[in-house]
Parts: sequence; structure tokens; C-alpha cells
Amino acid sequence: MNLRTFFRGLPQVAHQEFLANLKSVRLLIMVIILALAVVGGSYGLSGGPGGPSLSPLVVWAHAAYESNDSHVASVFVADPFGSPRTNTQVTFSTFRPEETLGVARTDGDGFVRFPMGNRSEVYVVAEVGTVVFGTSVFWFPSPVNFTSVTYQYDFDGDGLSETLAVHVVDREGDPAPTQLSVNGTYVRDVDSRGYGRLSLPRGLSNITIEVGGQVESFTVDVVEPPSGSLFGTPDATLFLLSAVFLYLIVPIFAIVVTFDAVSKERVQGTLDLLLSRPVSRTGVLLGKFLGSFAAVAFPVTFVNLAGLGVITAASGESPSGGFAAGFLGFTLLLIAFYVLLQIIFSTLAKTSGTAILFGVLAWLLFNVLYNVLTLVVGLLIADPAARFQFQLYAGLGNPSAIYQQLVLLYAPLELTGFFGGTAIGGDVLGAAAAIWLVILLVLALWVFEKKAAS
Amino acid sequence: MPGIPWQSFCREGTWRVPVIEVEGLVKSYGRGTVRALDDVTFTVPKGDIFGFLGPNGAGKTTTIRILSTVLDPTSGTIRIDGHDLAEDPLAVKERLGLMPDEVAFYPTLTGEQHLRYYASFHKIPRADARKRAKDYLERFGIGDAAGKKLKAYSHGMKKRLALAQCLLHDPQVIIMDEPANGLDPQGMRYFRDLIRSLNHEGKTIFLSSHLLSEVEQLCKRVGIIDRGKIVAVDSIENLTTGLAAGTPTVLHVAASDLSDAILESVRGLSGVTAVERTEGGVKVTARSGADVGPDVSKAIVLGGGKLREIRTEQRSLEDLFLSLTKGGAM
Repeated sequence: MNLRTFFRGLPQVAHQEFLANLKSVRLLIMVIILALAVVGGSYGLSGGPGGPSLSPLVVWAHAAYESNDSHVASVFVADPFGSPRTNTQVTFSTFRPEETLGVARTDGDGFVRFPMGNRSEVYVVAEVGTVVFGTSVFWFPSPVNFTSVTYQYDFDGDGLSETLAVHVVDREGDPAPTQLSVNGTYVRDVDSRGYGRLSLPRGLSNITIEVGGQVESFTVDVVEPPSGSLFGTPDATLFLLSAVFLYLIVPIFAIVVTFDAVSKERVQGTLDLLLSRPVSRTGVLLGKFLGSFAAVAFPVTFVNLAGLGVITAASGESPSGGFAAGFLGFTLLLIAFYVLLQIIFSTLAKTSGTAILFGVLAWLLFNVLYNVLTLVVGLLIADPAARFQFQLYAGLGNPSAIYQQLVLLYAPLELTGFFGGTAIGGDVLGAAAAIWLVILLVLALWVFEKKAAS
Repeated sequence: MPGIPWQSFCREGTWRVPVIEVEGLVKSYGRGTVRALDDVTFTVPKGDIFGFLGPNGAGKTTTIRILSTVLDPTSGTIRIDGHDLAEDPLAVKERLGLMPDEVAFYPTLTGEQHLRYYASFHKIPRADARKRAKDYLERFGIGDAAGKKLKAYSHGMKKRLALAQCLLHDPQVIIMDEPANGLDPQGMRYFRDLIRSLNHEGKTIFLSSHLLSEVEQLCKRVGIIDRGKIVAVDSIENLTTGLAAGTPTVLHVAASDLSDAILESVRGLSGVTAVERTEGGVKVTARSGADVGPDVSKAIVLGGGKLREIRTEQRSLEDLFLSLTKGGAM
């Protein structure tokens, strides 16, 4: 039997399998899930801004005075952009002993006033839903006729807190006409509620607040984000992406697309028609494998490239070339492992339901149970040296673990130093991956030869 | 060629080449403990329509799956159009068209896409495959549905598509498993005429069917399988004649004014073993092979009876089938 005869039917079956999978709804669903995980993960792990990093509730509490000089807390509740939070519950309490003085709600402008008598300190807490914001107010003898409260924000997520939100009230606790300047240059007035926002350059800036001719100055430092941190670097993001998301999702993707590659043909009766054609069983099986593999590999690689693009865009620099190439290549290897594994199950199973059940069990075994099993077996080994060797090489029995270790092998040294790295050489890992591929391929061919038409 | 009945090579005095040769075919399961097929041997001459009969579970589908190279036999030899299935399966596949019992297709492909997909395995050039697909779809009356997905096809349309896919590569041997299954009377007649027309084009047809009347109308030769063993292979005529041999001849006589004296004279005729009065006349049983009709009619007329009809009871394919398969269900 020559090679053309041996592989007869391969291109036709592969083409048909690829097209059929591309048109399937489940592939589309898996692509969406993967894209959400990879693109979202790339953005999130790169340190992009998100809702949770900004509190939707900010309390600007001032020490003010009534006309008879008794103390009053003047509180403005808003979001970081100065939009008032109306009808928001605000609680006033003492520090020691902690005792609630009273509860009030903000008015239509987000303000609430609470008389303090001669108390010189109060704790103010505002609540909206599950969001709580607390701050303190102290009354000191002060010659100024206004007070200001400032908060520094990183609105654009670049790691620099270059936005200064300022709130100013006069001595009585009411908004007053106020000019804001940065480094001696007038920038803007505060709005009618006393709120104003300043964009600051990197480094130290001198802020000047002027109310009715009286001036208050102070300095604000916009510092560089800490450099050298592992988290937030493109390589670290890529590593976490592969080790956390793809390691788990890609096998599911492969299982979902491949689970009925053979069983469906058998159940719907098309397998007999196919095998009665001038095809070799090797050709049919390899066609099934290549068609399914391509149907998974193309969208996964596309989404991975999009993930690399997002990492680059979000962090301003791209991951290391070798690491990125390794990540793309080893993901294809992971796909090949699980597609082959699932084709074996699909050939053995009588129904497609049983086939996907086998796939889920294999996923659980290699991604959840395997580590537990190796841990338990390791504990049974009395000799510490033997136990060490076992645990070192136990991962080679798990295709998902081989993928993880290969990714670690290509990761930059500072990452592997932090995350633990792998003590197994590339030659051993490469050989293990090749052996896994060959064993799965031979097993798939043998099972298909024996069981396909039974 | 041991084990092959030589009469199968001749019809009306003409030598005909066997196109399907099956010898000593065995299919075992469970490490040989269960034998689905046991020493199955038969031949089908070129240009024949061969009926393959058997009760449910007798081994018909297993035989068909082995013939169509889907299932591997445990032992035995099969030659299709001179090519050994074990040694040259691809040559066998090129010469074979399979129309399976279950009309199974890919629900998301159209009829034409199916035919082009299957044509691609036979190295038919694309343009030619497209033309053949259209021609066959038109010929079988489903040309209008060529662009529709299979989920929109009725059972009858799927049957026609199944036949189209099996003829695409112009095979010399067509294996049909229950082609009329699930069809209405018009559909059955359509397929019957189509099978005859294909046979006139020179195709050899291996027809498995549980519709004995269908087989009787289409086939001259049949093979009957029961519990994995071939129990008969011959022409229907020879088999029914053989079945009649050794069994009593029964005459159904329609007559009136049959006196007791007439019945006594009939009873006394040579070869007659029993005479029984019936509602419209009398039933006469004679020894096997005895030609007592003329004597019975003479006795009735001479005795003053009014004879209307004498009919010899015939053995049908159904009798043959029930007799050979111990009355098993099909």
C-alpha cells in the first residue's frame, strides 16, 4: 500500500470536518467565551482601569462654623467627578467611645449639614447600596475663612494619579467663588457646588486655592508607578493568561468541538457511507483530526493574537518575542492533545452524550484530580529523595502540565523565579510532548481501525 | 471453485461471469463465541438482480456491511468484479455502490453538496461531479431540492438521494438494503421500475428486502440466510419447485351437484389420498407429483356434477421463506 493509498480520503474528510465545525453554533459560542476570557483577561491583568478601582461614592466633609461660632459639619457627597449624590444617608458619630450622634440625608445638591455644638471631631460615613465611604472632620482654631478637601485619582489607568479633585466651602460651610491655580497659573473656578478638577503634570505641583482674596497653597506629588513589579508587565500578563485562562479553557474548547467527530457520524449513519467510499481508515481518522484541529486552532490563535495586541496596547509594550511565539505554539500543542484524546473517546463511545462525558472526565482528571493524585501518591513514598524525583517528573504524565511547563520554560527568568519555574529541561519536556502526541495518534488510529464500524 | 453452485453461472443457456463471489464468510464477536455469519457462501452473476432474504437478526445487514467494506470479516473470501476485498479494498470500493437501509445524511448539507462531497472520493473532476450531481438529482425527481439542506427532505426524497449517491461513480455492483422501506405504494413502484431500469443498463444488483412480493417481482435468484447461515441460494422457480417436491398435491375443485357417489369415485382414483367436501365444491389431496386433475374432472362430469374450475395449490416465496427459516419473523 503506497502513501497515497494509505492516506486516501484525508483531504476530503479534513475539509468537510473543518467546514462543518466552522458553521457550528457551538464553535461560535466557544470563540465568544474564549475571546471574553483572553481579551478581557489581557486587559484586566495589564492593569487597565475598571469600575472597581474607582469608588462611586466620595465624601467631602468640612469643619465649618455657625454664625454664633458653634461647630457644624458641612458634607458634600458626590462621585469622583463631582456629580452630587442626592438623598444619601450620612451618619455622624464620635470616635471614642463610638457613639452615633445622628443620621441625615443629602439634599438635592448633595449637601448635608450637621450641628456639632462644641465638639472638635466627628466621624462621617455615607452609604449607597453596599458602598460605604468614611472620613473624619476636625475643628482647629484657624485664621482662614474657607476649607478645602482634595482627593487624587488615576482616571485613565496609566498608573499615575494625575487628577486632583478639589472641594471648597467658606467658613460657614457653603460653596463660594474660588479660583484654582497650578504652579502659579490660573486653571479654573470651582463649580456652583464648590467642586473643581485639576490635571497635574508628573512630579511636584504647587496648588493654589483662592477664596475672597485669601490664598491656601500646598504641593501635590504625581509619582511614577513603581517599576520592576512583576504584575502588570506584558510578560507577566501573558504568563498569567496562559497559566490561568488558556490552560483550562482551551481543552474545553477542543472537547466541545471534537466530542462527536466520530460518534455523530456513527449515530446518524453517515459513517457506513463514508467507509464504503474509496478511503483508508487512516485517511478518514487523520482527516477528522486535522479538520477538528484546524477548526479549534484557527480561532484560538486569532483570539490569542488579539490578546497579545490588547496586552501591548494596554501596557504600552509587547511581550518578549520568544515567549509570545512559545505561547502561541504550545497552545496549538495543547489543542492537538485534547483533540486526539476526544477523537479516541468519540470512536469508543456509542453515543455523543457518552463521548462528551468521557471528555469532561478527562478534563477533570488532567486539570483537577491529577495534582491531587500525584500529591497522594507522593505522600506514600517514604524516601524523600524518591518522592522529590516522583513529584518532579509526575507532570510528564499529564498533557496539560506539559503545556504549563513548556510555557514556563520559555518565560523570562524573572517570571520563572517568581512563579516557581520548571526544573525539567526542554529536551525532556519536548520528548514527553512528542511521546504523548505519538501515543495518542497511534491509539486513535488503532481504536478507529477496530471500533469505528462496530 | 469449491462450494459455488454451478447453475448460478448460467441463465437461458448463456455463460455469465460471477461478479460477487462470497466463500466461507465468517463474522464472529466476543472472541469467537458469537457467530453472526457462519460459512456464508454464494455468488451473484453479472447483470443479475439477486434477492437476499432472512429474518431479523439472521445476518443480512452484517453481510451487506462486509460486502460494502464497512466491516471486516473474521474469515472467508470475497471477490467483487474479480477483485479480492482483503487484498485490494480500494478497487472493490470503486466498483461498489451502497444504498443503506437507514437514509442517513449530514443535516446541514444540501443534496447537491452531498453528492459533490461523495464524488470527491472517487477522483471525479469537480466540473464533472457538479454535472453528475445535477443530472442524478434531476433524473430522480429531486432537482428542485438540490440546493435545500437535508433537514428539509422527506423520507422519500432522502431515499432518492441515497440512490443518487450510490450511482454517482457509475459502479458495476449496487448493494441495496431495504430500498423500498418506508415508501408509499407510488414510491415503491418508482423504485421497482428504477431497479429494473438500472439492471437493464447492465448493473448487478444485490437487493436485501423484507418485502417478499417486491423480491418476487424483481429477482430471479435469491439467497436466504437464517441464523448466520445460508439455507438456500437458487432461482425462485427452482426453490419453490424443490419445496413442492415431497409434499402432497392439493386440488381446489369448484363444482356443484356433487353426490356422495361422485366423491367416492374421486376417492377411488389412483394417487388420491383424501377428499374433503368444501363450501363451493371439494378439496382433493393426492400424492406428491401425482397429476390427478384430468381424472378428477372426468369423474365429476361423468357422475353428473357441474364442474366450474380445478386449481392446483401453488407454493409461494413466502411458503419457501417460512419453511426455510422456521417461520422466523423478518
